[in-house]
Amino acid sequence: MTPPTPPRTPPPPPPASSASSPAAEADKRASFEREALVHLDSLYRVALRLTGNPAEADDLVQETMLKAYRAWHQFERGTNAKGWLLTILRHAFINEYRRRTRHPETVDIDAIEPFSVFEELQDEDPQGTFFDRIVDDEVLRAIDLLPEQFRETVVLSDVEGMSYEEIARILEVPVGTVKSRLFRARRLLQQKLYDYAVGMGYIKGSAT
Amino acid sequence: MNCRECREHLYEYLDRELTPAVEQEIRQHLTDCPPCGEQFDFEKLFLGFLRARCQAQGAPPELKRRILDELLDE
Repeated sequence: MTPPTPPRTPPPPPPASSASSPAAEADKRASFEREALVHLDSLYRVALRLTGNPAEADDLVQETMLKAYRAWHQFERGTNAKGWLLTILRHAFINEYRRRTRHPETVDIDAIEPFSVFEELQDEDPQGTFFDRIVDDEVLRAIDLLPEQFRETVVLSDVEGMSYEEIARILEVPVGTVKSRLFRARRLLQQKLYDYAVGMGYIKGSAT
Repeated sequence: MNCRECREHLYEYLDRELTPAVEQEIRQHLTDCPPCGEQFDFEKLFLGFLRARCQAQGAPPELKRRILDELLDE
């Protein structure tokens, strides 16, 4: 008796990308451009502060957009695309760039003494007019000098205007952590800018 | 609400992260207490300054073109 002929194996399914028609692919591209690509400037600003280097920021954003495009079917329409994209960007940064660029500093948050510039300047410049004399580059430099945990929190909040909840989701930390990092990051920034302004002679500051 | 409680909520207030009830309590305290009011104004100015100084930077136009080209190849 001859063994039964094995059933013919069906051909493997075509890869997902070629499964969709050209029209579906064009639709996908259009919706991606409309909902994701509009956040390009935000992604670039965050990438620049994370990597500290325009060429790496370019690569990081490009890679993020490509990953996002490939995973676009997983994105839940109508939810926060910016948060979704920033999460992808941050994971790409941690996995591939951080090793090459900067090293994550572990910060003893409690060791940072919150310094209130307002209290220092209560008599000399309570309206904070000295801020007007500090140029963009100096502010960006001060942000770049923050420890990474603080830098990413402050950029998401103060540059990108995201809520505590959104930031907590992107950074995968509790909301309370976002709050305390934000408090200390802003105070550290104020302190750096204050020191700069004193150094430039914009304000006298306290005689220390 | 006293000054210490009010200042503890400083950034949450400026970031609009509080419930309307607590926000209202703070607003009331700031009206009644000029020193707290001044500090909040100073911090508000600082946050506005930070935002304004960092927003100018956008992605270079070549980057957008490169990404669009890449999507077409997908």
